[in-house]
Amino acid sequence: MSHTVLVCDDAIFMRTMISDILAQAGFEIVGEAETGSQAVEKYRQLKPDLVTMDIVMPDMGGIDAVREIVKQDPDAKILMCSAMGQQALVVEAIQAGAKDFVVKPFQPSRVLEAVQRVLG
Amino acid sequence: MDLSQYAELFLAESREHLSACNQLLLDWERTPANPAPVAGLFRAVHTVKGMAATMGYGRVTDIAHRTENLLDLLRRGSRPATDELLQLLFRARDALEHAVELSVVGREDELDVAEVVADLESAAALLAGPERPAPAPTAAVEPPAAPGRSRLVQVTLRAEAPLKGGRALLALKRAQALGAVQGVTPPQAAFESDDFDGGFSFRLDSSAAAAEIERAVRGAGDVEHVSVGAGGDERRAAAPRGAGAAAAAEAIPEKSRHIRVDLRRLDELMDLIGELVTVRGRLNELAAARRDPAVDDVAIQISRLSADLQAGIIQARMTPVWQVFDRFPRLVRDLARELDKQVAFRVEGKEIELDRAILDELGDPLLHLLRNAVDHGIETPAERRRRGKPPEGEIVLAAVRERASVAISVSDDGRGIDRARILERARREGLVDAHAEALSDDQLLRVLARPGFSTAEAVTSVSGRGVGIDVAVTRIRALGGSIDIRTEAGKGTSFVLRLPVTLAIVRALIAGVGRERYALPLTYVAETVEFGVQPTTIVEGREAIVLRNRVVPLVHLRRMLGVSGDAPARCPIIVLEMGERTSGIVVDGMLGQQEIVVKGFDPPQGTLPVFSGATIMGDGNPALILDAGGLV
Repeated sequence: MSHTVLVCDDAIFMRTMISDILAQAGFEIVGEAETGSQAVEKYRQLKPDLVTMDIVMPDMGGIDAVREIVKQDPDAKILMCSAMGQQALVVEAIQAGAKDFVVKPFQPSRVLEAVQRVLG
Repeated sequence: MDLSQYAELFLAESREHLSACNQLLLDWERTPANPAPVAGLFRAVHTVKGMAATMGYGRVTDIAHRTENLLDLLRRGSRPATDELLQLLFRARDALEHAVELSVVGREDELDVAEVVADLESAAALLAGPERPAPAPTAAVEPPAAPGRSRLVQVTLRAEAPLKGGRALLALKRAQALGAVQGVTPPQAAFESDDFDGGFSFRLDSSAAAAEIERAVRGAGDVEHVSVGAGGDERRAAAPRGAGAAAAAEAIPEKSRHIRVDLRRLDELMDLIGELVTVRGRLNELAAARRDPAVDDVAIQISRLSADLQAGIIQARMTPVWQVFDRFPRLVRDLARELDKQVAFRVEGKEIELDRAILDELGDPLLHLLRNAVDHGIETPAERRRRGKPPEGEIVLAAVRERASVAISVSDDGRGIDRARILERARREGLVDAHAEALSDDQLLRVLARPGFSTAEAVTSVSGRGVGIDVAVTRIRALGGSIDIRTEAGKGTSFVLRLPVTLAIVRALIAGVGRERYALPLTYVAETVEFGVQPTTIVEGREAIVLRNRVVPLVHLRRMLGVSGDAPARCPIIVLEMGERTSGIVVDGMLGQQEIVVKGFDPPQGTLPVFSGATIMGDGNPALILDAGGLV
């Protein structure tokens, strides 16, 4: 059975791209979220094997969403999607419980490597 | 990876974010002391940056990155906006927009961004203040050895690894799974700094084998080299990690509930449905002639299905008006600034929906009206004060849903149109009766909307409402809509545009006059009454009926179209209502209601200006569509 993924990003563009990369690698995209609070809600509903999480999102940011999700499920596997220059935020996200991160612009191979590490 | 498939998505989404930036900047400009919009700005620019970097659009990324830096400094400092900063941010936003548009069509090279980039840099440098001393690199002093089976682990990350601090932290976490970690060098706080070079060490208190520790640390990714001290035993890294996971052969369709559809596809579908509706009409007529219950049955089913299909497609074409309105706040602001006026601009009813094809045509007419409102409607602050008005004028752009139409109004609280001056001009140019004493609102609009109406004088000395009004009126009428004007000297002017919600297929009354049939869209039909039953009267020289205390002037279509022969003794009157204007159209007979597919139409010279298009009836014969706007 393929792994299920929840893709969280406020940009449709990014969601589409991540979904395409992962779907082509055989993952099943079971949901998308545009805000941190949607991500928390959908995680509760969908219990995906993996979450990709943008850091900067409206409403509730990605890091707060990680905290919330990890509170519900300490084993949640969350992959942060960050941009160059967000070192401090990435560090914060990992401290909050994110399992790995990828850096935009995404290279499919690096995204998949990170996913393997997280699910590994 | 082929990125071109994402270009349209990139463009559409970047536009949305940049449009939001405009609104946020305007908000900030209105209340400079409140830094709330900065977070949203930062987010929008950040998103554009991420998308552009992914697409490989270097210049967009560059401008976005520097703008983001500046916004970040502003955000952290919670600083009020200065005029200079706002101007720079507006410029940066415009440059971004330009860069986005050019990049998507592969003309990125034509951009010269040096100036705005330099200005962003110097503004950021100014805000950042004197360079803070960089945190001194921690001396590579060996941390005190912990008791037990503590071993020194030294890690070097790959030089090309991005965000090395995050990676280092992941490595530490993996190590922690094996035992207690101490003596991290440099201290963990350094991981948050961009100066962190990817080399670090720590002591791990664990009974795990060295190979196991190394494997765990490597599991964090991007690790170039790991050494695990075990009594001075240092191991070198083995072969680098293999390539990424192989992509599985088949993609799983994603479950997102939204897709973006090229508008042209919807147009094609609409055309096809238009043809289907025409054929359906023919089928219904044939079925009626056959009187075969089985055929009737099929005809009814097809009618129902095609009606559902049509409703679905029209719904898919509906677009909220903000997609056009959103660019106006910035435009009004820029224009007001240029003219040294103070204008509060308000938008209402942003979520009201219209057929995309209509919405697309609205931009220019609204632009004309707004421009006129700022330029000629709103007075200078000094003049407003003299008249006892607040120095800041107000312009409201509002959309409201009415029955089967949408009313969009542009209202200002400015000086209003000087009727006397317009009347004088109109008389001189023979546009009204030389003895006319006053111009009604309708007459005023008719005068202003005449393409030939010279506004050279009006522009400077009156209110210049003639500029662009003819363009706006023509455009709106072509869409089957109408424009009304209300103006009061000293109080302001308001234009109301009424538009059908959709263009392509409308329900119409089919009326007969002589041997021809005419279609009259139901959008503006209020009711029908019978001529000869209602007493007629003469009001202001026009024949009219009185309906519930309202005077409804009559238009005899037969006479207007020059049809010979006599009208039947009793014939129906179709009462049209457009805003507050009304008119009763006298026809020979009513032939029922039906859906018609509107086909655009270039009337030959000399055609009465009362037709807005043509349609094909169920029997294959054409019928002209009457333009309600031209009849009331």
